[in-house]
Amino acid sequence: MLPLNKLQQLFCDALRVPGSPPPALLAELVNDGLAEKRFNIYRNNFIVLNGDALADMYPVIRQLVGEQAFRLLATRYVREHPPAERTLLLYGEAFANFLGGIPELAALPYLADVARLEYAWTDAYHAEDAAPLTQHQVAAILPDAFGRVRLVPHPALHCIRSPYPLLRIWESNQPGAPEQRISLDEGSCNVLVTRPGVEVQLQGISDAEATLLQGLQDGATVEGAVAETLQVDPEFDLAAYLGRHLFDGTFCRIRLDPSDQDRKNQPEETP
Amino acid sequence: MNEAGTTLSSVPAPVPARAGAGLKALHYQEIIERQPEIGWFEVHPENYMGRGGAPLRYLERIRQDYPLSLHSVGTSLGSHRELDRQHLKQLKSLVDRFQPGLVSEHLSWSHGYEWFTHDLLPLIYNRESLQRVIANVQQVQETLQRPILIENPSSYLQFRHSDIPEQEFLVETAKRSGAGLLLDINNVYVSCRNHGWDIEAYLAAIPGELVGEIHLAGHTVQAVEGVELLIDDHGSPVCRAVWELYRGTLERMGPIPTLIEWDSNIPPLNQLEAEVRYAGQYLESLGEVQHAAAE
Repeated sequence: MLPLNKLQQLFCDALRVPGSPPPALLAELVNDGLAEKRFNIYRNNFIVLNGDALADMYPVIRQLVGEQAFRLLATRYVREHPPAERTLLLYGEAFANFLGGIPELAALPYLADVARLEYAWTDAYHAEDAAPLTQHQVAAILPDAFGRVRLVPHPALHCIRSPYPLLRIWESNQPGAPEQRISLDEGSCNVLVTRPGVEVQLQGISDAEATLLQGLQDGATVEGAVAETLQVDPEFDLAAYLGRHLFDGTFCRIRLDPSDQDRKNQPEETP
Repeated sequence: MNEAGTTLSSVPAPVPARAGAGLKALHYQEIIERQPEIGWFEVHPENYMGRGGAPLRYLERIRQDYPLSLHSVGTSLGSHRELDRQHLKQLKSLVDRFQPGLVSEHLSWSHGYEWFTHDLLPLIYNRESLQRVIANVQQVQETLQRPILIENPSSYLQFRHSDIPEQEFLVETAKRSGAGLLLDINNVYVSCRNHGWDIEAYLAAIPGELVGEIHLAGHTVQAVEGVELLIDDHGSPVCRAVWELYRGTLERMGPIPTLIEWDSNIPPLNQLEAEVRYAGQYLESLGEVQHAAAE
């Protein structure tokens, strides 16, 4: 008789492996002639249950490769990457890289980016709640101090950069979307993922905007991030960018430079 | 815990001895708009362990109108190993936030080694596992600062060296840890059929005063090499035989909060409601029978 820890380890390991369960495990089960079949119910549940979680997270991938191929991929993924997460809400983080490494999928080179976008969508859906930046918060900053502030990205924010027309691929594979032909020659795309309230929103942004955002996410000041962005696009227009994105859920707070802490605009200061 | 002005009371709303239902994301909106006649709702806390967003927001809203039960699937009470502290911490914070009337978990294990199976795996029933489960239940209860209910699992295989009948294992665990039991009558039916156990003897061994909640669900029948195995998939109406066992259980134990579980092939809310109403009729007729007996 095995001690509990050995028995559970044997059981767990056998869930991941196809074919007959190891004799050492079968020897621990009541042998009514069906022991292997009975064990297989658990092995199948393990694959299906976790595969269902992947199917929920990656509906567009499922649509693109078809149900049957998706299930084969999911089974392989579950065996190779059993859940390290305590809940299934965000199971499947490595799926994009996994898809990118499958030679049979080489004809669909955009799949990994689609998977990155779908993971980002779900991550944003469950992200910490935070209100988008408000006019009031911005009005409190003196205009000459704005370059030195840091715009804190909203916890739900993601930006997925892809050499493929990612947003069009995603949109045309949503339920009820009309069938469309998308040429990969349409070129690159950066998808901004935000969740200002409870609904996740996707929109395309330019390379310059994505560069600016990357700088801000890395903790640069507005001035610093703009300087980097001007190297990508000398025509970059910060005012136009802020007009579109300052209040759309991209950012949730403003951090002042310490030297500006004491000289905030305080229009509604109360005693 | 909750400041004045917030919507939840810091005192848990008790789950009444009425019929309730598992809360499903696709019914959120309709429940809020239509306020169906369902006595209470139950959720898997693991589905609300995200950092924020819609699920928590909906649960908060629905909790304002209905009593709530948290039915965990990830504590892994049967693990040989230490319970996962991070999971317990998250469970505790949900209990603090939502003040459920009941908290429950299965007699099974799911947490293997460095990874999680997310399934409810079968436990060997012997002295070693009994000690382990009792210690684990105590740890959960100490963390949550309240007793929990332990649910009898459905299972498809048995271990050769199990030497304690499942019903005795459950009762012993409850008595020695101070926990109650969640009696899943469909699981009793499924496991007894799958293992050739005596259903009446199983149920008779469960003292009514330990049972704080009942579960009812559907299962499917799978033929494996000429032998029928029942699969507990929660994907269909409760079967006739389980309703009959439910009636007998209520007559013996008195009214107990009863949940309709429906987790796959989820029907429209009105169909779920009909099943809840049906269970409610058993609870109500019981009241009448007892009332008549008292007169």
